[in-house]
Amino acid sequence: MSLVPWKKREESRPLVGLQREMNRLFDDFFGRDFGIEPFRGPGQWLPALDVSETDKAVLVKAELPGLDAKDVEVSLVGGVLTLRGEKKEEKEEKTKSFHRVERSYGVFERAVQLPCPVKTDQVEATFKNGVLTVELPKSEEARSKTVKVKVG
Amino acid sequence: MTDTRNIMKRPGGETPAPREERYRIPQVDICETEDSLILLADMPGVTEKGVDVSVDEDVLSITGHVSPPQEDSRPLYTEYEPLPFRRVFTLSQEIRRDGIEGKIANGVLRLTLPKAEEARVRKVPIKTQ
Repeated sequence: MSLVPWKKREESRPLVGLQREMNRLFDDFFGRDFGIEPFRGPGQWLPALDVSETDKAVLVKAELPGLDAKDVEVSLVGGVLTLRGEKKEEKEEKTKSFHRVERSYGVFERAVQLPCPVKTDQVEATFKNGVLTVELPKSEEARSKTVKVKVG
Repeated sequence: MTDTRNIMKRPGGETPAPREERYRIPQVDICETEDSLILLADMPGVTEKGVDVSVDEDVLSITGHVSPPQEDSRPLYTEYEPLPFRRVFTLSQEIRRDGIEGKIANGVLRLTLPKAEEARVRKVPIKTQ
């Protein structure tokens, strides 16, 4: 089971609710953990992730608005991709008062179990407009898994 | 403040609206300084070209377009959809419409909304005798 701690701010973060629903959906459907464990403690936030694949690669995207490439750490250990970083609060000088504070700050860490073996030495991460994209080319054996069957 | 939360329809519920009518609501911080209001909106994936800010009388609209996913990719696990961002705010008369400035960096839109002269805090010097 994937555990998402209940938080007061949940109402204002529809994606967290959506994530829980997705987790439940996957769990119901596959009857097991889908392999993505949201991880959040005090002062942490949970950036939204998107995992997709093409014939040649696995793509992991994370929404990290307000962060720079230097604020993010990407590591790959034993088929688990981990994204880590911190978003510091932008302190506005001369701020008198806040009317709304909805954006998330603080430390985050998310780990993704990759669906297939990848070429660990050819992983590429790019950061653009607040979106981190990690492209992991599938290893030859993962690619050749698809066997075309002739029907005739 | 208008917040229409039609981001996601529950599975098995109503049919989702056509793609172009659905959008995501960006999270915002609004803070006030002595001479202006500063609005920060999280819009990851939105470039300078994709952002649109407009003021129509009392209504400030923020729209951000994101590029669609790679065509040959299949989703495995999705926590967000590449829908446009959109949020609408009501402006008070205290905001000077012609002085609104915006810029976007790292997926965060920053709008500076200057206060009208009348709305600024004026310090009244107190004379001592």
